Amino acid sequence: MSDKPRESLAESVRQSLRMVIDPELGENVVDLGLIYEVSVVEVGVVHVEMTTTTAGCPAAAYLRDAVGSAAGIVEGIERVEVGLTYDPPWTPEMMNADARAHLGFGRKAAGR
Amino acid sequence: MIGSSLSRWTMAFFTGAVIFLIAAECLMVAGYGFPAMAAEAPETLLLVHTVTIGWLSLLMCGALLQFVPVLVVQPLRDEILVLPALLCLLAGLTSLLAGFLGLTGMLDTDIPFLLIGGCLLPIGFGLVLWTLGRTLWQARPLPLPARFVAVGLTCLAATFLLGTFFAHILSGLISDAVMIDFRTKVLPVHAAAGFGGWLTFTAIGVSYRLLPMFMLAPDAERTTNHIVWWSGSIALLSIIMGAPVEFILAGSARIASVIAGLSAMVALVCYGFDLFFFYRNRKRRNIELNSKSAIGAFAALYLSAALLLNLLATGTFANHAGALIYLVAFGWLTGLGLSQLYKIVPFLTWLECYGPVMGRKPTPRVQDLMVERRDGPWFVLYFAGLLGGTVALLADAPNLFRITAAMTLLATAAIVIELVLARRLFNVAAAVRFPEGTTRPHLFLPAIRNH
Repeated sequence: MSDKPRESLAESVRQSLRMVIDPELGENVVDLGLIYEVSVVEVGVVHVEMTTTTAGCPAAAYLRDAVGSAAGIVEGIERVEVGLTYDPPWTPEMMNADARAHLGFGRKAAGR
Repeated sequence: MIGSSLSRWTMAFFTGAVIFLIAAECLMVAGYGFPAMAAEAPETLLLVHTVTIGWLSLLMCGALLQFVPVLVVQPLRDEILVLPALLCLLAGLTSLLAGFLGLTGMLDTDIPFLLIGGCLLPIGFGLVLWTLGRTLWQARPLPLPARFVAVGLTCLAATFLLGTFFAHILSGLISDAVMIDFRTKVLPVHAAAGFGGWLTFTAIGVSYRLLPMFMLAPDAERTTNHIVWWSGSIALLSIIMGAPVEFILAGSARIASVIAGLSAMVALVCYGFDLFFFYRNRKRRNIELNSKSAIGAFAALYLSAALLLNLLATGTFANHAGALIYLVAFGWLTGLGLSQLYKIVPFLTWLECYGPVMGRKPTPRVQDLMVERRDGPWFVLYFAGLLGGTVALLADAPNLFRITAAMTLLATAAIVIELVLARRLFNVAAAVRFPEGTTRPHLFLPAIRNH
């Protein structure tokens, strides 16, 4: 598989993962920066490395299953491997602009 | 699996807790117990234990069963003991309250309810202690918030052991002669261990984890966090161990009381700095209603400290201890409890209902389960009633107190109704309420399917 289809498939997976919402913050896991890596490791197989906002989160198992399901419905994906890691630990700085805007993250900094 | 899962019986603990809270507030509105009756009257004992065991302790147990695994990133040990613990606590408390009713003369029976309650409650709390204690023990070395909980649980043990002794005295199994000293010297230890150690110290510990989590504030341990733990622990040790020993050796507990008081003040001052730090440095500027309403509870904590100092300085502590206890129990502890229930109940409900279909179907957000704009005024009403009630108690105005108690009852009932509506997903648009594959959560019983 050439790099371009791999990148395209990984991007499709990322788009699909936006359906998964972190219950505590109410934003999707991609915008929150909880998805560390999406890589197509071989034909039809994608590996997602993810974290949760806090270690020990009661939603962790649900989120991991949800990420697996959301990635699995993408056309061309036959198998999904989901790794849950806390290295590095998630920090609010990992959120993208959309999530920051929704949570009012940037308002104070912008006002300075 | 890293982390924890949903605690199966936490919602049942919460349900029992809010029922006892509403019951206690109804009693206050009806003028049952203090201040309409004497502080040592059986009616007051009934009211106090409905609040401290029925509401606050059940609430704290339910919350810890969910959050201790989060604090230590370990699953709960011996979870099978949780349901028997809940049943023992409910049966034990009902029996204890029936025993107090017997002392009032309203219930004429030969059944030794006080004794039964005095046996069942320690079993219930003992099972909770075992479950949480084993979970903490397996997770050593403990992170700082969990160390607060460990001290709080130790204080719980001291509280219910002394409480059991009281139940034996009141049921006549131990002679009345012992009771005189016990009331004046050991009752303050029982109250300090319960309010200060079990309820307050544990709540402070959990807040060190939850506040940064909810507000996206920096959560690295700071020197002040450690000072709070050390000085708070010294204060509790001085009261629970030091005061009785000093009393036996020297006939008074003055030195232990001074050490406890000064240490507690240091802890409160440092905790104040930490609270200010969390709110000031939060990344999430749009905080939710639970974080806003918690400010009322924190304000009540510091008002309590100021009131205590004032009562001691003016030599009026004995006259107004009831007002202080009311401010601590209903301002600080209940205010914080209701605030955090407002976040935790929708969170757990969302996970129960939508967790299994997440990633397969579009889901509403947790925030869609509540309507903050509608609910904010209830918290304002609650704290207004609380302040009015404290003033009424300080002014020895029992009828005014009943009016303010009606305000807190109305606010509490409204908040509880909102929590029930959240459990029923009432505020979620009907079209997206139950996507295929979801299960309607039970009001308080656990779902059969659980992660």
